[in-house]
Amino acid sequence: MRRRMFSVAVMLLVAFGILFFQLNNLQIVQAKKLATAPGNSRAITSIFSLPRGPIVTSDGAVMAETVPAKNVYHYQRIYPAGSLYATVTGYDSIIYGQSGIEAAYNSYLQGHQRAIRSFSDLFKSKMVTDTVVTTINSTLQKVATTALGSLHGAVVAIDPTSGSIEALVSTPSYNPAPLASPSGTVEHQAWTSDIAGSTPPLQDIAISRAYPPGSTFKIVTTSAVYDHDPSLATKNYPVATQIALPLTTHKLHNYAYEPCGGTMPVLLQVSCDTGYAQIGLSLGASNLATEANAFGFNSTPPLDISGAAASSFPPVSFFNQNLPQLAFSAIGQGNVSATPLQMALVASAIADHGTIMTPHLLSHIIGSQGQIVTSYQAHPWKVATSPETAAQVTTLMEGVVNGGTAQDIAIPGVKIAAKTGTAQFNLGTTSTSTGQSDNWMIAFAPAQAPQIAVAVVVPAQSGLSANPTGAAYAGPIVKAVLQAALGLK
Amino acid sequence: MPQRLAVNPRPSRQSVYTVEPRRRRIELGLLLLVSLATALAYLLALYGQHPSATLTFNPYIATIIVAPYLAHIANRKLAPLADPSFLPLASLLNGIGFVVIHRLDVAEGRLQVIWTIVGVTAYIATLLIVRSSDTLDRYRYLLVAGGVVLLFTPLIPHIGQNINGERLWIRVGPLSFQPVEAAKLLLAVFTASYLTDKQDLLRRFSLRNRSTRSVALRTFGPLGAAWALSLLVMTAERDIGFGLLLFTTFLTMLWIATANKVFVGFGLALFAVGFFVADKLFYQVNERITIWLDPWKYALSTGYQIVQGQYAFGSGGLTGTGLGLGHPTLIPVVTSDFIFAAIGEEMGLLGTTAILFAILLIVGAGFRTAVRARTEFSSLTAFSFTLIFALQTFFIIAGVTRVLPLTGVTLPFVAYGGSSLLANYVLIAILTRISHEGNVTYGPPVRSSPSVTVPQTP
Repeated sequence: MRRRMFSVAVMLLVAFGILFFQLNNLQIVQAKKLATAPGNSRAITSIFSLPRGPIVTSDGAVMAETVPAKNVYHYQRIYPAGSLYATVTGYDSIIYGQSGIEAAYNSYLQGHQRAIRSFSDLFKSKMVTDTVVTTINSTLQKVATTALGSLHGAVVAIDPTSGSIEALVSTPSYNPAPLASPSGTVEHQAWTSDIAGSTPPLQDIAISRAYPPGSTFKIVTTSAVYDHDPSLATKNYPVATQIALPLTTHKLHNYAYEPCGGTMPVLLQVSCDTGYAQIGLSLGASNLATEANAFGFNSTPPLDISGAAASSFPPVSFFNQNLPQLAFSAIGQGNVSATPLQMALVASAIADHGTIMTPHLLSHIIGSQGQIVTSYQAHPWKVATSPETAAQVTTLMEGVVNGGTAQDIAIPGVKIAAKTGTAQFNLGTTSTSTGQSDNWMIAFAPAQAPQIAVAVVVPAQSGLSANPTGAAYAGPIVKAVLQAALGLK
Repeated sequence: MPQRLAVNPRPSRQSVYTVEPRRRRIELGLLLLVSLATALAYLLALYGQHPSATLTFNPYIATIIVAPYLAHIANRKLAPLADPSFLPLASLLNGIGFVVIHRLDVAEGRLQVIWTIVGVTAYIATLLIVRSSDTLDRYRYLLVAGGVVLLFTPLIPHIGQNINGERLWIRVGPLSFQPVEAAKLLLAVFTASYLTDKQDLLRRFSLRNRSTRSVALRTFGPLGAAWALSLLVMTAERDIGFGLLLFTTFLTMLWIATANKVFVGFGLALFAVGFFVADKLFYQVNERITIWLDPWKYALSTGYQIVQGQYAFGSGGLTGTGLGLGHPTLIPVVTSDFIFAAIGEEMGLLGTTAILFAILLIVGAGFRTAVRARTEFSSLTAFSFTLIFALQTFFIIAGVTRVLPLTGVTLPFVAYGGSSLLANYVLIAILTRISHEGNVTYGPPVRSSPSVTVPQTP
């Protein structure tokens, strides 16, 4: 009996040896493969089971923070202001990943190792997080959002001297909270509705979507005149409702066939399309394209969150085959398109003596001990034009507010420089169609010592009045933002 | 191992020997180490989960740490010569198991403490009642009857419970119990007793010899009937895991006792037939084999649990994530079937190896007990109990690590479950009793003691 018991013991030993072998196989040999397998949510669960640093506005309002919660991760990312800052913070989703500041400054927000200094530290969480302070001004962001109301549109407000973005609004917006839900179902439902429709809330049109800038582009054309052919600035263009274009029977007419003409300051003040079309044709494709590129067209703005798109101005070669298009391009239509961010940078270039500061959303990062970990160092992106040209264009833009197309945004006691834009879709036909224009305004103030540059777009959408204009739709929003930025009621 | 012997100055009816209880001092030392390990594991799990937790007195962990010492006192009084490794090893598994369960599910952790109290009480009661292994031998028919009745209970309406298509549980009030855990021990005792009695007849059994055939078959009758009935009941309850466990134990015991290979061959043939029938009859068998072969294909359906278990082992790696720092809750029913995967994730290969070694040491001590046992019956009983313990551990770990298809048995002492804890405490109590008896050395002839029995040679 002993002998047989011994055999059984040996067999069992072999059996347990197999178990030990398999454990080594699973936990050493295959460990990495299993740990990083696509179906293994442990790694991501670990990340979401860590505290995460808050994102705040420059004036201290909480945009996003992580609080302890009774769920599988023990933490929950919350966005106290709902959809207000979604374009800036982005989302932090278990399924759909991250975007915005959440993605760009993830390494700071995410817990990272802290040095162990005492025995009790051994038992404490070794993870610490940083606080990301953005350049967003909570008042400005709220005012811009309120001013847009239920309209589909975007607002970009920049401090032209530093490139700090103080308001970045794109409507309709979305609430990032359900995308950070511990429930996959909730996340999936939120995601589905956030990408639905013709104006999906997840699309940040302020930085990623380009529209024909319309007459706001005349700022670039005006600048090109001073930089490349100043004689055109004083040339008098006769009053007309429409002009014939070269090499074609098509004609270019003014908004609502209104007659206009004169020298460039007058043309800009009333936004005379026929005049600027002729200026464009006189300038030539090369000069205009050079100027547009200097202002940042055809380059992606190096914004510190991802998603910024380049604005486009056709290359010179395009106009060789298509001279009439140059007339349209000079007035910001045809093949020109610009993001709201780009147009804000155009305004900010003029405001900041011709220099475009790199647009950014990060102000600085505060460590767990309250120390500044890193600060964003403002630096120029492009030199769009000379200080002299900028000064001359500023004067012309002030004229737009003083009795020009943007006179409704005038604020007593403040000199404002602005330009309206109404990019009509159906050029060449009658002007009786409704709601078919992208409505713009760019502005900065105070004109001589600018603190804020704004671009607003209210793209074509249903629900706009017949014959909408930039002045009517974008104007009031610009005015509200300028007032708030300058601390005026 | 030479024992220091001394004649008891005041011989009583019970103690015809006196050996300085060196073994009990070793046991106490080991228990202190176990307490330390359990307390440290508890602290790690606590701070792993709640880094800013404040340390307060927790009656549950205190009970887990104190309970083994009560069993230790019982050992000193009732089985002073028993192997000193059973109790500390069981306590270690019980303690680590509690920490992991408590970390995964506080409510179940607390219930586990109550079951630990029940288990330790049963341990002491077993040592008290079964003063001699001969007692078990004497009541073998009563025991087997009890075992079969217990097996039937889950089939009784109202108290029987269906869980996952298996009818293994009885529920009385808030307590649920898996009777097979207790029944397996009763059946093993009966088998040991019966085989000791009739082994000569069975040993001579040969297919060619007509006379031995009829005698052997008649002898085999009651034994075969008891086991066939048990296995049939378990089939009705869809209890694949324990059915397999009992069948393997029975076959091995038969071979150990009789050395007759005919039984082994016959048993294996029966197993093949039974397996084929079960595979056709019960979807569970087929399903478990399918997901064993390729769980990844069913990673989001039937194979989810086993796949998550594999991930847990992989994520644990060599050293584990640390107690309280992993995510074993991603595995369904992790506290019972898959607790070993949770240990693999949070304590790594080092932790799983430690558990494996602790179990192997118990198995080793069990076999040592069987070999040294005083009577043939107690030897076979110790052997069968050790075998049950070893096989049950092997089946569940093999299932969780995907060496074999998953069979839903519990990991002794570690997994959550009252019946399992209770049965395993009784199991090591019996082993302790047999070990004690086997270690009684009869010194110089002792006169005037009525209880001295001539040691039987196995």
